[in-house]
Amino acid sequence: MRQASTVPKLLSLEPLQTREVPHSHCTSEQLFSPMDVFKINISIIFKIKPENLFLWLLVLLPDVLASATDKMAEGRAVELMKQARLIDGHNDLALQLRIQYQNKISRINLMNLPTTHTNIQKLQSGYVGAQFWSAYVLCSAQNKDAVRLTLEQIDVIKRMCSEYEELEFVTTSQGIVDSKKIACLIGIEGGHSIDSSLAMLRVYYDLGVRYMSLTHTCNTPWSETSSKQLYSFYPHIDGLSKFGKEVVKEMNRLGMMIDLSHTSDSTARAALNISKAPVIFSHSSAFSVCNHPRNVPDDILQSLEKNNGIVMVTFQTQALACGTDNVNVSTVADHFDHIKKIAGSKSIGIGGDYDGAQSFPKGLEDVSKYPALIEELLRRGWNEAELKGILRENFLRVFKEVEKVQRDSRSMSVNEDEIQPKEVQNSCRLDLTYRPHKPTPLEAQPVSASSGIPSVLWSSSCLMFLSLICMIIY
Amino acid sequence: MLRGWLLLSCLVLGSAQTLLDRAKQIMKVTPVIDGHNDLPWQLLRKFNNQLGTAEANLTLLEGTHTSIPKLRSGHVGGQFWAAYVPCDTQNKDAVRRTLEQIDVIHRMCLMYPQDFACVSSSAGVRQAWQAGQVASLIGIEGGHSIDSSLGALRMFYRLGVRYMTLTHSCNTPWVDNWLVDTEQEQAVHNGLSVFGKRVVQEMNRLGMMVDLAHVSVKTMTDVLEISQAPVIFSHSSAYALCPHRRNVPDDVLRVVGQKRGVVMVNFYNDYVSCSKSANLSQVADHLDHVKNISGYQAVGFGGDYDGVPR
Repeated sequence: MRQASTVPKLLSLEPLQTREVPHSHCTSEQLFSPMDVFKINISIIFKIKPENLFLWLLVLLPDVLASATDKMAEGRAVELMKQARLIDGHNDLALQLRIQYQNKISRINLMNLPTTHTNIQKLQSGYVGAQFWSAYVLCSAQNKDAVRLTLEQIDVIKRMCSEYEELEFVTTSQGIVDSKKIACLIGIEGGHSIDSSLAMLRVYYDLGVRYMSLTHTCNTPWSETSSKQLYSFYPHIDGLSKFGKEVVKEMNRLGMMIDLSHTSDSTARAALNISKAPVIFSHSSAFSVCNHPRNVPDDILQSLEKNNGIVMVTFQTQALACGTDNVNVSTVADHFDHIKKIAGSKSIGIGGDYDGAQSFPKGLEDVSKYPALIEELLRRGWNEAELKGILRENFLRVFKEVEKVQRDSRSMSVNEDEIQPKEVQNSCRLDLTYRPHKPTPLEAQPVSASSGIPSVLWSSSCLMFLSLICMIIY
Repeated sequence: MLRGWLLLSCLVLGSAQTLLDRAKQIMKVTPVIDGHNDLPWQLLRKFNNQLGTAEANLTLLEGTHTSIPKLRSGHVGGQFWAAYVPCDTQNKDAVRRTLEQIDVIHRMCLMYPQDFACVSSSAGVRQAWQAGQVASLIGIEGGHSIDSSLGALRMFYRLGVRYMTLTHSCNTPWVDNWLVDTEQEQAVHNGLSVFGKRVVQEMNRLGMMVDLAHVSVKTMTDVLEISQAPVIFSHSSAYALCPHRRNVPDDVLRVVGQKRGVVMVNFYNDYVSCSKSANLSQVADHLDHVKNISGYQAVGFGGDYDGVPR
């Protein structure tokens, strides 16, 4: 996810070389903040002189002793994660591939890509068993080219997952369970990607998308975001509109998970009220611990428990510590403890938001560091069953139930509702009430198909009549 | 003399009925695959794609060239449904509109599973025949639908699109349409641009057929030069018989034949006879002509029903 708190200074990027398009007012600029571009960590190496070695040892002794205990917890964490590899709810690597490499993944090596939080080796070190990759496009594309840009992000994710044998694209809960690789799934981040069209939801589902965040940092014509200050789209929307409720219903029918990260509390409450399936927060934390608008207040956590849904705790430092400088693994663990108290450990998962957020807690700098979090929770007394739950079992429960709702909806008709034109009118949305170019087929000339009497009968009758004439003549 | 003429009449009429029977017998075994039908456009215009309304019942549909009973009577075994959106959507919401048309085609198949099977391979077509369904495939009509994006092209392929007509009646940023061969427009790209060639190469790689109906002659020759796969004209007729720029000139027909492509003859009167009226014999003349120039293996049907008025 992108930085929400300040209006960023914008850079323009080179357009994709494979597109030679005249700029139109319906093409978004895809302007990214410098903060969106991941900064490469610089590691500093200390050199130790032999004559200072004894002093160094004295200084380091307490740490050495503590680290022995840590090592045990770390060992247990790793063992646990080997048995129950993590399903992470949200990762923006695809956005970085766009920003840094214009989606030209043939030119890079995802095994050890150094410029991102995420690469395949780090995922393996972090015992990641499944990852939801975010197909995200900026809100500035709303009412412009959001659909095409979203398709391009889905395309780069699919290409990435097919070009590396360590990755495997799946679309079901069973697919995650069966995979011996890193299972890849797709989530769309923001309802602006469907351009107010239920057909688009169905198309994205067909392409393998299995969750949609109802908003990103902008309102859509039918849903309200938690970030009010960044964009001025549809300022009067409150929660979910009538059409927004149809979106939620169609997502239930299709089996697409409803993601409430980035939505306002009103939107979240409305969705929880009508959804027949459990919902998710793919990357959000606890409002009571840090009162950031991206986080989930206690009453919604309680509703989520009744809904049997899941909040996948996120690691973005601004959402964890509300301005505190010292943000570390313990800060993250506080959120886990709180949500466990309010909604039970079965309501918790992990959604790191790597390669989307700008800064991460000390100790959780990239996707290889997940074991550090499990280690901390072990220290706090979380038991193995609870930890396997947050690593994967809770999410799988939610996904299976969403799939069950889909199966139970088989007799339901496809939702053919449309948003009212006045709710969504804009200059890049064509009004097809007049009919250009394609002539209307039948209004000028009614089609006469068969006259109703089979031609065989006509020709048979004629033949018989003529035969009779012939016979008479002869 | 009179007896002779009457006897001849009896024989001719008798054999005419037999020819029709023969045609039907052939088509029972080998039903037609038609290259282009715009029923989805009519579903949008008339019903806003609301297939659930009573008037949109495809078994009882009136006022269109196409309905399920008519497809059955016509022995249609395979149909490319056009996911067409007007050129006015270019640089606006063409992509979303095209996807909505793809969605309505998929829903047609879901709603009428006895009659339609949405398939995306030649094997799928044969399976549909065996099951007694009309094999339903999807073609996009106009490169404006991909908004100059190879990523979008790949996603259309994944959704089952198996041909793309490179243009409708407008240029895209990478290819010229047929109107540049008339006085109405000037050529912009002189056939395919550099990116246009990338599009064709990617279509070859994916296995999406390149459709040259609606494109300019230079575009036709550019594509025929670089395409590694046979190409199609999903709904175009013979220029030599009706010199309309939507039709295919003989030199192009020859190359199509050499490269094992197919020209699916359009039945629109204006392209058949270059006038507002035409008859079945004139359509057959086009089939004969394509056969003569390109070989019988290059001939097909692309009626353009529900896309044109006559």
